[in-house]
Amino acid sequence: MKNRIIILATIVIGAFALLAFTVPQEKKKGGPWEIPAEYKTMENTYKGDASLEKYGKQLYAKHCRSCHGNEGKGDGPKARNLDTDPGNFADAAWQNSVTDGELYYMSIMGRDDMPNYESKIVDDEERWAVINYVRSLKE
Amino acid sequence: MKRFITILIVLSFTGLTYSQNEESKPKDKPVFAPFESGYLIDNQTTVIPSAKTLEYIIQHKFGNMDNGFSDLFGLYAPGANIRMGLNYSLIKNLQVGYGITRLNMYSDFSAKYTLLEQTRLNTIPVAVAVYVNMGIDGRNKDVFGKDYKGADRFSYFSQLIVGRKVNDWLSLQINTSFTHYNKTDSLIDHDKISIGINGRAQFSPQSSILFQYDVPLKIKGIAEHRGFTNPSKPNLGVGWEIRTSTHAFHIYVSTANGIIPQHNAMFNQNDWMDGEMMLGFSITRMWSF
Repeated sequence: MKNRIIILATIVIGAFALLAFTVPQEKKKGGPWEIPAEYKTMENTYKGDASLEKYGKQLYAKHCRSCHGNEGKGDGPKARNLDTDPGNFADAAWQNSVTDGELYYMSIMGRDDMPNYESKIVDDEERWAVINYVRSLKE
Repeated sequence: MKRFITILIVLSFTGLTYSQNEESKPKDKPVFAPFESGYLIDNQTTVIPSAKTLEYIIQHKFGNMDNGFSDLFGLYAPGANIRMGLNYSLIKNLQVGYGITRLNMYSDFSAKYTLLEQTRLNTIPVAVAVYVNMGIDGRNKDVFGKDYKGADRFSYFSQLIVGRKVNDWLSLQINTSFTHYNKTDSLIDHDKISIGINGRAQFSPQSSILFQYDVPLKIKGIAEHRGFTNPSKPNLGVGWEIRTSTHAFHIYVSTANGIIPQHNAMFNQNDWMDGEMMLGFSITRMWSF
């Protein structure tokens, strides 16, 4: 009887331990973005502007890093509290699949877990500085 | 000291002169984030959050840390002070605020306006801001002695701030202030002029070292007495700032026990040379509308 209880307790504890590993992987992916046409073709007027690199990094650290992580891999300290996966900016395939304008819409307008930054990053130049920095995270 | 005031005046007028010539020069843009917050320990910066931003601030100072480890450097000491305030940016570069402070049960109304922003091509080489604050002492009227009038509770503070972002990691400010208390003890002047220097050195994308040094001046021209009785002492402060998307955190040590600036300029008796400093922190939270 005693042995059965010990075996049962081991199984229950082991199951909970395994469950802890499975939770992050069950985070759902966000569905496809509905991006207005004017953003899809929006031109990045600051593309390649080296003077924005440092400031883009600072803005990213201030506004984005807590969820998206240091290298944009979606592993920031707040990411675990999100309902949806924040994605991976280092993923070259994903980077190639979105235009600068689409990235601008996703970053500034947001949806669901992704906040709206229109009133937090007011200046257009600052917004593009963030987009350019996100682009630089591609591996 | 005279040299310091002269530099301050020259810098202020330099900024104004540049602004008048602005139209004839190529379009220039303001520098990026000369400071991360409108607060710098006990001081204000030239920075104002964007229009329609509501800012909530909690400022707290523990007791005097001169007893060392026996009261855990002031954490267990009496004399702690706290202020809670709200600021709102009405339009670009104009902010108004209200706060309440434990010490003297102050209520204070403030306004800050950034007249000039420093630009990247040096069309405008400095940022210039004006900060004003009116405090109301909320203690029992017996504190004010005989012939009490409601106006005895009022105090006023006005400050001109001139700042420059020197490079990517260093920003400096100098300021000059005028403080007036409607009612003070009989041996203390009603008016005080102060000067100060402060700044931040950024060492990571979100973190900076802050410093401040404010000096109340003993100017005979505005003194009401032949000598100065218990003149207020300089306010030294060093701190660490951490900035996130919606918060700014300051952890610091500073000399003065007050939180509103007119109190520090007029009454600070702590002397940092004697180790009379206070551990403090500030937390801001911003919401945009």
